[in-house]
Amino acid sequence: MSSLPAEAVAARGSRVPRRVSGLAGSFSRHGLAIALVAPSAILVGALVAYPLVRTVWLSFTDTGLIDLVQGGGEWVGLENYREVFADDALRRALINTVVFGTVAVVVTMVFGTAVALLLNQRFRGRALLTVLVVLPWAMPAIAASSVWRWMFNDQYGLVNWALVRIGFDQFHEYSWFTDRLPAFAAILVVVVWQSYPFIAFAVLAGLQTLPKDVLDAAKVDGATAWQRLRFITLPLLRPILAVLAVISTIWNFKIFDQVYVLAAGVPERATDTAAVAAYRLAFASSEFGLGSALAVVLFLILLAVTLVYLRMLRGQEAT
Amino acid sequence: MRRAPTYVAAILVGAFSAFPLLWVVITSLKQRGEIFTETPDLWPDDPDFGRYADVLLDSGVGRALLNSLLVAGVSTVLGVAIAALAGYAVARFAFPLRRTFVVSILVTQMFPLVVLIIPLFIVMRQSGLLGTYAGLIAAYLAFTVPLAVWILRGFIETIPVELEEAALVDGASRFTAMWRIVLPLALPGLATCATFSFINAWNEFMFALTFMNEEAKETLPVVLQTFVGRGQTDWAAVMTTSVIYTLPVVALFALLRKHLVTGLTSGALKG
Repeated sequence: MSSLPAEAVAARGSRVPRRVSGLAGSFSRHGLAIALVAPSAILVGALVAYPLVRTVWLSFTDTGLIDLVQGGGEWVGLENYREVFADDALRRALINTVVFGTVAVVVTMVFGTAVALLLNQRFRGRALLTVLVVLPWAMPAIAASSVWRWMFNDQYGLVNWALVRIGFDQFHEYSWFTDRLPAFAAILVVVVWQSYPFIAFAVLAGLQTLPKDVLDAAKVDGATAWQRLRFITLPLLRPILAVLAVISTIWNFKIFDQVYVLAAGVPERATDTAAVAAYRLAFASSEFGLGSALAVVLFLILLAVTLVYLRMLRGQEAT
Repeated sequence: MRRAPTYVAAILVGAFSAFPLLWVVITSLKQRGEIFTETPDLWPDDPDFGRYADVLLDSGVGRALLNSLLVAGVSTVLGVAIAALAGYAVARFAFPLRRTFVVSILVTQMFPLVVLIIPLFIVMRQSGLLGTYAGLIAAYLAFTVPLAVWILRGFIETIPVELEEAALVDGASRFTAMWRIVLPLALPGLATCATFSFINAWNEFMFALTFMNEEAKETLPVVLQTFVGRGQTDWAAVMTTSVIYTLPVVALFALLRKHLVTGLTSGALKG
């Protein structure tokens, strides 16, 4: 139980509204509660709900720069959405988001879980390794992207130097950011580097709550380490892994900072994800209507993922 | 020797995690001639600490550091103060639409910020908030408040209700019970929550890039990104600035150690 992410635990708690007895004091029944919640509710309304609604509205207009001064643009119905799916670059941005996002989730989950299993072993220097693993998580995304951009530098970068050293001569002065696939490979390394620590620590917390006796029994019965992992540990971790996979999907689908910095020089912006493409449409090309439409499509994809997530939390509450 | 694979794996994982950070620090201390070499020079022969002073004082990084501190600091204090009230109410009372409020707080954290930025930009432009500290701080409340409500509510739920009841029996008002009993007990929670809010605001890039249209008010990530984006990138300055920008977060992570996973999985720190 305690191994579940905070919101899973909290959502379970929220089923039973607590009430301090005897609260009908000087306030009417809900007066105090509403007064306390109001500032937050108003802020969330003004800064999240209103912009969201307005973005949806803008996505049905052709609002450009001049319209920002004079008021809204013309209503164009679904035209922007048609363009999002018809335009090659925009469709590619959506495909990039889903494909790259999914690959990043899989790699992060597998690597994070592997590191968790490693940290769950007993060996000298485990405490030190724990500290080292946290470090990439602590680095702000823009700093990490800048630093890795240098490491992936064609002439002086450490990555090419190391690859040549171990025998891959084709990486001599190899340029990572002139083609779509290598650029994505580099971005993947940065994204995984930054997000695997979180997965590793969350899975590790889960591992530490597993019933020891079951694993010991299997060991006594002669199950190999691989069998124990495959048939006992992983099935027991499934609820946690599922929740983490969804959180990871949400993060990787809305990825912006790393792509903005690393993909800046890629020809034709071939590695832009939906978030970056929507941003550029609005703030580089002043196509606020079209940018909004792309942002809304991304939002709908994430909303679907979030609904799956809420469902999962509720499912775990029930069991 | 049975353990050999474990150690090999541990060394590889440790190197993958820590080496890039070590490399930044090393590079930031190198003389310029040592940075641009075919074969990477693994140690600075003549460490140049002077670059930190140069970067801080001459290239606007010092000013950006102060801007970042100001924006992240104020949005944290405001966000946590506002959210503490709601967190308490959600943990303790049943009220109409409570569940709706809780779910919308959770869902808010899943939002891509790009879906909010265009209207926020338009409104700020119209109201003259564009390019002001107040504007950026207000925009940051869009994520610091929901995050803080979410974490604090969890903390407050762990504080026994009996303590407040005892105070009420002794004649304290509801508000006094909250202010005098719960708040002091929730202080560690408030501190944790403030740390998370601060890190998130400190790391935020997209809003800062868009809303601070004046060089003098840019925050650290924006300045760092413009360094990288230039044609002739001054990698020495990039490395030094990256260290300056990262160090405070590493320090805060050290403070947060115990809470990193337990309280935090609600998307409090993006990976």
